[in-house]
Amino acid sequence: MARALLIFALVASLPAAAASIQVNVKDARGAGLEDAVVWAVPKVAPPTRPRHESSVEQKDKQFRPMVTVIQTGTMVRFPNRDDIRHHVYSFSAPKPFEIKLYAGTSAPILFDKPGEVVLGCNIHDNMLGYIYVVDTPWFAKTRAEGMARLDDLPAGDYDLHVWHYAQAAAPAVIPTKLRADENLPAEFTISLKAPLPRPGPR
Amino acid sequence: MTPRLIRPTRLQDRIVVFFVVLLMAVQLVSFLFIRYAIAHTAENTMREELRVGSRVFRRFLELNSSQLVEATSVLTYDFGFREAIATRDRATILSALRNHAARIKASGMSVIDLEGIVVADTIQEPNAGKPYPFADLIGRAAELGRTAGVRVVDGHTYQIIVVPVLAPLPIAWVSMSFVIDDSTARDLKRLATAEVSFVQSVRGAPRILATTLPPTRRGALVAAADTIIATARDGATARLGDEDFEVLATPIEDTGSLPIYAILQRSTAEGLAAYFLLEAIMLLIAGMSIAVTALGAIRIARRITRPVSQLGAAAREIERGNYSVRVGGEASDEIGELGRAFDRMATGLAERDNMRDILGKVASNEVVTRLLEGGDIELGGEQRDVTVMFTDIRNFTALVERLTPDQSLQLLNEFLTVISEVIEAHGGVVDKYLGDGVMALFGAPVTRPDDAERALHCALEIRRRVEGLGPVLAARGLPHPQVGMGINTSRVIAGNIGSPSRLNYTVLGDGVNLASRLEGLTKRYHVPIVIGVTTRELVRDIVCRELDKVRVRGKTVPERIFEPLGATGTLTATQMVHLAQWHEALEMFRLRCWETSAASLRELATLPGYERLAAIYLGSMRDLAANPPGEDWDASFTLYEK
Repeated sequence: MARALLIFALVASLPAAAASIQVNVKDARGAGLEDAVVWAVPKVAPPTRPRHESSVEQKDKQFRPMVTVIQTGTMVRFPNRDDIRHHVYSFSAPKPFEIKLYAGTSAPILFDKPGEVVLGCNIHDNMLGYIYVVDTPWFAKTRAEGMARLDDLPAGDYDLHVWHYAQAAAPAVIPTKLRADENLPAEFTISLKAPLPRPGPR
Repeated sequence: MTPRLIRPTRLQDRIVVFFVVLLMAVQLVSFLFIRYAIAHTAENTMREELRVGSRVFRRFLELNSSQLVEATSVLTYDFGFREAIATRDRATILSALRNHAARIKASGMSVIDLEGIVVADTIQEPNAGKPYPFADLIGRAAELGRTAGVRVVDGHTYQIIVVPVLAPLPIAWVSMSFVIDDSTARDLKRLATAEVSFVQSVRGAPRILATTLPPTRRGALVAAADTIIATARDGATARLGDEDFEVLATPIEDTGSLPIYAILQRSTAEGLAAYFLLEAIMLLIAGMSIAVTALGAIRIARRITRPVSQLGAAAREIERGNYSVRVGGEASDEIGELGRAFDRMATGLAERDNMRDILGKVASNEVVTRLLEGGDIELGGEQRDVTVMFTDIRNFTALVERLTPDQSLQLLNEFLTVISEVIEAHGGVVDKYLGDGVMALFGAPVTRPDDAERALHCALEIRRRVEGLGPVLAARGLPHPQVGMGINTSRVIAGNIGSPSRLNYTVLGDGVNLASRLEGLTKRYHVPIVIGVTTRELVRDIVCRELDKVRVRGKTVPERIFEPLGATGTLTATQMVHLAQWHEALEMFRLRCWETSAASLRELATLPGYERLAAIYLGSMRDLAANPPGEDWDASFTLYEK
């Protein structure tokens, strides 16, 4: 499967030389913001990609990773690495679902609508996770220093988006024109809202 | 005059009144003090209780609120509930809300979306789709995770809990309402032990939201509410209607725009009820102690005053001369000692009186009194001018010849009694009895200015009384008694004469002897009374007849002697003429005109009272004619006998 993807990528990049966007996401004080999701949506319809899979683990009564970004149509599994059971659910509009108490791995869930999906565990109130579903193959998640890189974008016009789970409001979309072989920097500043007091681990 | 009526005069009453009044004063002062302290303490206690009550009350509200918050939170974690919310189906949500509200006995429950729009509301269903009225609670819940507040909705008061529905991030808000009504107030009343009212302070028009007060009392609270809220945060006394209350206003936290206060109140009278009982008991104890004190004081007073009264009565008896009275005194205290001392005194007085009685019999009253008053009886004497009188019953031996010894003594005593009485009546003192005679003193031991006159009047009285006895004795076949009296005034030594164990108050001196001799001369001149010249010169208003000049043995100067005849004016004119003639004749005799004198005496010789005198002088003149005297003849008679 990985090989097939590689082959697809090579083939897709062939018509034109690929460009990339170096995105820096900062908070209001200028500090790099981790776990922000950035993605580029082409003005023209993006190429469809075959279904692929992703997974969100539960370990030590936490969702790992806490933030997962996937493309629309991705099948996500929720393997349980704890020796207790979990009851994963979401009431979020893009994909309400529920996996009742289970151990080991679960059947994959298909995320076919873009948007924010908040994950919870019905028996562990402190467990919180996010799956962000985007309708493009070009997405990334910022690392600890707030940097993310979108690679292998064909030259063309894009809308550059960002999302952070603690954002007070969604920052404006940045329209971007990419030339071939270009490495374009982009920067987002996100003002965060105070996190709601939440139950601690029990 | 009025105070006298109030002020008791009896010692007993005064003692009782003193102690009772004293005790009452003490009781009154302590009662007032304790009463003040009680009132003060009661007020403080009640106020403190209210404070404690209000703290308990507030703590209870806090605990209740946090418990409700927890309970609501738990409820909202219910997965099914969250699923129901997630459905966004209003009917489903509403029924779920009703179900869940019932689970924790909430009055109502509503769901608000994250935009602040009511999704469903069990209390006011039409609110759905409208903004939630208490956005501030939502805002605070967003900040703190959960919150609680008190709000008034449609005249009802609710404690409102707002918590998020977490899935696991907030997907909506839940507002849970618990009504605060009269029933809630009653529950709180048990906790705070005070009447509880929730009052919304709308300036000028406070509103009672819930209360334990009966409807009749609510008006008064509304009227005073603003004042209480303003002043009684830490407790105060307020008059509500016609009763006093301890009140305390405590603000309810987080009540939106119009503050709500819980007003706790307790009736002062009820709070004091326990103290009223204490006060009543105190009054009872005070009354009892006053009664006991009064009884005790009466008893003690009687124990003091009864013996005093007895002593007083006994003293009056003694004053009357009854020395046999005894008060006794068994008690070992001072009163008993007083009684015994009194008895000893009575005994002493009786002995003394008895002594005086006996002394009065053996000595004259004046002497006895003098001796008794003088205290110590001493030997020794003093010089005094004293008129001494000797009396003698003429021919007493002849008089008693025909009588038994008893009869003789009885007769003698009759005479002596009469003579003694007369002497004492004239202020004289019987010095001693000399057989059938009496020696009397005028001027000792007590000197009076008219001692000599008293003596003469006394003698004249004795003469009269003895003459009066004549017919009495004649009736018994006894001869007519005669009494002879000699009186002389001179300077004598007066004092107690004898030995220390046996004394005799008497007088000594030549003048005394002369008086005795003058008494003897009565027999010679056949007159009842003979007085010396000193006495004669001391008296006025008594007519005296000069009898003779007597030369007493051992004296060179002859003594003129007289006979008192009676008070001036008691003699008839004839008697006075005769007396003048007699004195003329006596004068002639002394001037040696014996013939003239004899002629005059012969005329007088036939007159009563003059026979003997005339005979003596006529005889004397015959002797003188036969043996004419020398140049030194002084017309005196020399007394040779004792």
